[in-house]
Amino acid sequence: MPPGPQRLDLLDPAEVARLGGIEIVAEGVVEGFLAGLHRSPFRGFSVEFTEHRAYQPGDELRYLDWRILGRSDRLFVKQFEEETNLRSMILVDASRSMAWRGIPERLTKRAYADRLAAALALILLRQRDATGLVTFDEQVRQVLPPRVKAGQWTRIVRGLIDTPDGAGTAAHAALQRLTALLARRGMVILLSDLLFDRELALAALRYLRHRGHQVIVFHIMDPAEVELEGPPEVRFRDPESSVSVVVRPRELARAYADTVRREIAAWRTACRRHGIAYHHVQTDLPFGMALRLLT
Amino acid sequence: MSFVHPLALLGLVAAAIPALLHLLQRRVPPELDFPAVRYLSTAERESARRLRLRHLLLLMLRTALIVVIVIAAARPLVRLKGVGGGGGGGGAHEPTALVVILDNSPSSGAVVDGRLVLDRLRVAARSSIARTTSADRVWLMLSDGVLRRGTGEALLATIDSTRSAWQRLDLVQAVERAARLVEAQPLPGREVHVLSDLQRTAVATGHAAVARGVRVLAMAPGRSAANRGIATVTVSEGAAVIALSGSSAPPAGSDRPAPVPVTIRIGGGRGGGGRGEISARGLGTGAVTGSAVTISLPAQSLLPGWWVGEAQLEPDELRADDRRPFAWRVASPARVTATPGAGSFVAAALAVLQDGRRIVSGGSPDVVISGGEAFTGARVIVQPPADPALVGQANRALAARGVQWTWGRPGTPGPVAAPALSVINGVQVGRRYRLEGAGSGEQGAGDVLATVNGEPWLVRSGNVVILASRLDTAWTALPASPGFVPFVDALVNRIVAGEAEVDQAEGEPRVEFRTRGADTIAATAYGPDARESDLTPATPANATAALGGRDHVEVLDGERFVAARFSGTRRADVSGLLLVLALVLAAAELGVATRTR
Repeated sequence: MPPGPQRLDLLDPAEVARLGGIEIVAEGVVEGFLAGLHRSPFRGFSVEFTEHRAYQPGDELRYLDWRILGRSDRLFVKQFEEETNLRSMILVDASRSMAWRGIPERLTKRAYADRLAAALALILLRQRDATGLVTFDEQVRQVLPPRVKAGQWTRIVRGLIDTPDGAGTAAHAALQRLTALLARRGMVILLSDLLFDRELALAALRYLRHRGHQVIVFHIMDPAEVELEGPPEVRFRDPESSVSVVVRPRELARAYADTVRREIAAWRTACRRHGIAYHHVQTDLPFGMALRLLT
Repeated sequence: MSFVHPLALLGLVAAAIPALLHLLQRRVPPELDFPAVRYLSTAERESARRLRLRHLLLLMLRTALIVVIVIAAARPLVRLKGVGGGGGGGGAHEPTALVVILDNSPSSGAVVDGRLVLDRLRVAARSSIARTTSADRVWLMLSDGVLRRGTGEALLATIDSTRSAWQRLDLVQAVERAARLVEAQPLPGREVHVLSDLQRTAVATGHAAVARGVRVLAMAPGRSAANRGIATVTVSEGAAVIALSGSSAPPAGSDRPAPVPVTIRIGGGRGGGGRGEISARGLGTGAVTGSAVTISLPAQSLLPGWWVGEAQLEPDELRADDRRPFAWRVASPARVTATPGAGSFVAAALAVLQDGRRIVSGGSPDVVISGGEAFTGARVIVQPPADPALVGQANRALAARGVQWTWGRPGTPGPVAAPALSVINGVQVGRRYRLEGAGSGEQGAGDVLATVNGEPWLVRSGNVVILASRLDTAWTALPASPGFVPFVDALVNRIVAGEAEVDQAEGEPRVEFRTRGADTIAATAYGPDARESDLTPATPANATAALGGRDHVEVLDGERFVAARFSGTRRADVSGLLLVLALVLAAAELGVATRTR
């Protein structure tokens, strides 16, 4: 196949990150993503029907109006009018564990989360959805209330840049505080490595869900956290708690992989049980593919 | 269990390597940040028991692998049960002290069935030594009786270069020495391999004392051949007496041994070139040991002096004993006179010798026999004076002559001991003076010709012969004994001149002369020991009894000999099995190491 035009959303995240700052990367990713999507990823959510138009190749069949097809044997699709009062809040975990990468050639989890958050915010704001940002570690570090006015995306990006890598994570405390900030029903997108107490965090997320929020969780992991590798014998130290353990990666790799799989499965099951969308994302996954998880 | 290379067991120290590596590796692991430690902890907690078991199993497997490899390198030997005689000598054996006695005495030069006996013995000796290992201690003994220690290669080279020697080997003594040597070695195996034609004469000297734990394996002799040889040649009274030895089978159709043609050839004498050669032939009546052929010599045509000759038999299976050189001295009768004090017995003996033309009288005497009074003459035989009061005067006369011997106080009675003068050996002496003085050298102890009670009785100093007793029946029984006249004959014709009898010695056939100044005083005729001519082998029972007894000795034919070697210490070399076990352990280690990753 001849090489097509470069689509940043499908390139390796580390390569994309080398092109420039968060804004450039996010814009490039979003442009590529939207060009390939033909429609808004969030269309259909919190919007109302406005008119019909003739079907064009590429339109999703689910929006085909079957009644008109039955009556006139012609293909029409239904179009919706976007609302402007959708409130989205993007939550980015800025704990110390997020500032880690398995190899220097990859983005840290935090860098990946920042760029993904910026891209999400740009998409939402282009849909004229009010979008805000919260960064947190043990405490809530940055809070940008949801806005739709011009300059909001720049503020969100600035907020991401201005949030330093934190210390340990106590996400449930931060999430509980967020419940007070998110009084109106909306969408909450959490970007985190979820290296904290699952039950406490789930309690907070359940509460958001109970308040009517649509909750989406991006579980971000470095590939090296999924497949254990390293020297024959090594002391691994938790950068947050300084707890260390001496292991032989080769002989523990299988058991570790099983543990990680179980952990992911546990998160996925628990989230599904409470109506929370859960997506496992590794930092070598192109941003476009990560965004596509939302469609 | 024993080991071919026990030093290799030092490598067992390496068995600690896995444990040491384990400890060393645990000591300084690198430290890395890893956020998902909680997952690691969970995984380790859940698999801790399995990992501990795996570590223990791997440690055991690796340690066992090293131990097995090291032990295999040491080549362990395990005792085999039920080793029979058909093993062909295969398999390894425990470290063994081994003496291989290769009897290359003259009889090994016999040709039987077209093949040298020594060749057959050499093959067996080579085979024995080739079966030894570096853990064995090996000696090779040839007929010279020397125990040669060396590497297998060196001893094999020695065997290859071994030829039939002229020395006889007394197997009884040889086995006893060899058994003593191997018994002193701190090795589990002790064997003596006797590779000999096992002549009955070689095992006839007694019974070897063999210590417990020493095995003596003798290869049974093959077919023997009839042989006749020349035992000795002596010349006396104008005739050469050729004593025959050996064993001879009667010719087919006859129950009597065949006549033995003997040829003697008399060549140029000592320093007498140009005397020409004289040959003579005689016919023996058989070839059994003890028979003799007498051939007259043309005495009148032989000039005075030393003569050499050689007796020969017709060639047979053993050539070494078919010829033997001999020597004798042709001398003019001595002109002898006796002083009045010499005594009546001396005078009577001289009269007999004169009648027999062994001496002549009148004119200027060559030899004077004195009774202790003042003496003159070139050669003097001196008896102590009958009157003790004259002993001092006689001693001064001896001193004036330059003789260092003197008569001292009276000695105790006793028999005469004279190995070189058999005619007076054992004759009783009643009275005597102690002969004192002497020292060493030309006129010293080396000239003591006979002793009584260990003290000199007959000595020679230059041309003077001194007796400790008078030749009188009041002093000694010698004058009344049959050997008296031959003794006086020897005194006047030979002893006083410093000449000894012709000696017979073992060695390559030749004649050697001994000189004193310009005079030739003795000769030695060399040849093989007469017992080598008898090729009749000892019976297995006799050989077994002579070489150590049934508890120690096995006389075996060729195949059984080969099978019995080292059988007392035969072991299976299990290094191959251990290497297989090492492969299994390595495979198991690989499986455990990879399966659990």
